[in-house]
Amino acid sequence: MFKYIKHTNYPINIQKKDVKMAKYLITQFGGPNGELAASMRYFSQKFNMPDEKGKALLNDIATEELGHCEMIATMVHQLTKDATIEELEACGLGSMFTEHGKGIYPTDSNGVPFTVSYFAVTGDVIADIQEDMAAEQKARAVYENLIDLTDDEDLIGPLLWLRQREVVHFNRFQELYNHYKKLGY
Amino acid sequence: MLFNNNDFDFSFFEIPGSEFQLEIDRNKFANPNQGFQKGNMMTNEYIPYRNFNAVKLVPKNDREQKMLKVMEYAFAITDLNLYLDIHPDDIDAYRLYQRYIEEGKKAQQDYINSYGPLTISNANFKTYEWENNPWPWDDKEGDMYV
Repeated sequence: MFKYIKHTNYPINIQKKDVKMAKYLITQFGGPNGELAASMRYFSQKFNMPDEKGKALLNDIATEELGHCEMIATMVHQLTKDATIEELEACGLGSMFTEHGKGIYPTDSNGVPFTVSYFAVTGDVIADIQEDMAAEQKARAVYENLIDLTDDEDLIGPLLWLRQREVVHFNRFQELYNHYKKLGY
Repeated sequence: MLFNNNDFDFSFFEIPGSEFQLEIDRNKFANPNQGFQKGNMMTNEYIPYRNFNAVKLVPKNDREQKMLKVMEYAFAITDLNLYLDIHPDDIDAYRLYQRYIEEGKKAQQDYINSYGPLTISNANFKTYEWENNPWPWDDKEGDMYV
């Protein structure tokens, strides 16, 4: 089960409204390389891990990623909460507003809604963990693209931090992969 | 601030009077404050992006100061937790993990006493405080509460 703690993993306090960055950023919530896909990928794969190391690591990273979903959603909320309808329309979010108002809906940066087909559960330990390693690298790359798109320090701080978490998770998954290869998987 | 060359000094541990820490490989693990700011407790695994430095978090008031401590320990515990999942026999990491859990509990209680519950189990108040704002996605009064 899960227990909620009433704080984000890392402080988020965005002062400047920026609808365009919100449009880009939402993909790290509901896009193919986003945190929701990451969390649900590891959450779903954990049931088939063959030993305690795999069960623990996938469970624990899935849990951390759920917190990252909240961080991204928080950033999008703070970037758009004071935006006018005209400002949303000017940044191509008129159709988003039509469907969701100012609610935070998991899509990619093109407005394509989240889909479970962003991740796989093969039942094959090696295939699953290699996907996890690739997923962390892809998420890192997207965070770097997002950092390149802004000069707002309130955004760059959490984005650098989230990017570094992808680096750490990749290392742990790689160690798990090597562990299973050594065991003959 | 972000682009300053704020070099982190990993040669010291900020918790005083903890004898066991003297034995721990100081080059391996960051302290919670520095590890949190970088997003990585493993000093040799930190990979910066281009010329960016990690943001130095400067709390503006008592609430932010107390919340920052809560976040730092929560982070240190999470990162050591992931490391220990794969390296359960690393006794140094486990001792740090134990230590930060204890320090984290104190930091949480310190925050809760002043500013209200962090989990639904924190109910030592006269009235039901859990639903009271701010929630982490709010940025009430510009506070870096979240």
